[in-house]
Amino acid sequence: MIKSLPAGSDFLFIICLKKLLLLKPMEEPLSQQYSETEKHRIFHTEFMPHINSMHNFAYRLTLDADDASDLVQDTYLKAYRFIDSFQQGTNAKAWLFRILKNSFINDYRKKSKEPSKVDYQEVETYYNSDDVNRQITPDLRVEALQDMIGDEISNALNSLDVDFRTVIILCDLEGFKYDEMAKILDIPIGTVRSRLHRARNLLKEKLTDYARKMGYKNT
Amino acid sequence: MPKLPDSSKTFNCREMLQKILDGDATPEQQQQFKVHMEECMPCYKGYELEMAIKALLQKKCNGHGAPPDLIEKIKNKISHITPH
Ligand SMILES: [Zn+2]
Repeated sequence: MIKSLPAGSDFLFIICLKKLLLLKPMEEPLSQQYSETEKHRIFHTEFMPHINSMHNFAYRLTLDADDASDLVQDTYLKAYRFIDSFQQGTNAKAWLFRILKNSFINDYRKKSKEPSKVDYQEVETYYNSDDVNRQITPDLRVEALQDMIGDEISNALNSLDVDFRTVIILCDLEGFKYDEMAKILDIPIGTVRSRLHRARNLLKEKLTDYARKMGYKNT
Repeated sequence: MPKLPDSSKTFNCREMLQKILDGDATPEQQQQFKVHMEECMPCYKGYELEMAIKALLQKKCNGHGAPPDLIEKIKNKISHITPH
């Protein structure tokens, strides 16, 4: 690090780096200066415990075990590098997930050929329309789900557009709240809500297809 | 849309179900929904189905934790960034 520079320029330098890496801190806090011992303590006691969730998230984003490991490693190294912008007592898991998501967009999404444009205009329109209340509930039964003992649900999830996949993972697997998801994804809470709604319906459609293939008749 | 006896607000079934699923409902709203489900079949069925999907997701889509060698690798790299 650039220990010899005065505190002011050190701070500016960090701001510039953050902009370069699209790593805005969650609450734009004033960076603090942790001692080396504190850094290590925070890293090991607050960051490392989330590594399994982080890896699972990375795998569901990249759909490749090696890419997932690379992404997780990059994320943890970045987290350590920018540890001064992490405020103790705030949600470390959400902070880490946000860095991982940004790294994925910057470094991995470009590489993959996956088209990831979701028509959000359509999503909002859909959500705000009257269809919401008389929604066509897919003819999917709980018994059919109980028979899905293989990879059906995993394949169904993976087949969703990455933006839809992401909100399902954040909400249903990781238990993040609307405001946390909004910060992780840099989108308004209303968009989180409508994206989740649409994602759940798309997932149900996929599962309904599987159920039909398994021989479950409608109703 | 049915009205809740102890509330002047109309009870929007789909909206409330989503709030519950998304983990955004207050304990009070959860309780209201529980009571409501007993007399609203679409809500009861919808809730059952959505919870079954959630359970299946948690059971089947959570298995890609970090390999032990990755954990060691990261710890190693960190310990070498700043000499102790
Ligand atoms: Zn209802």
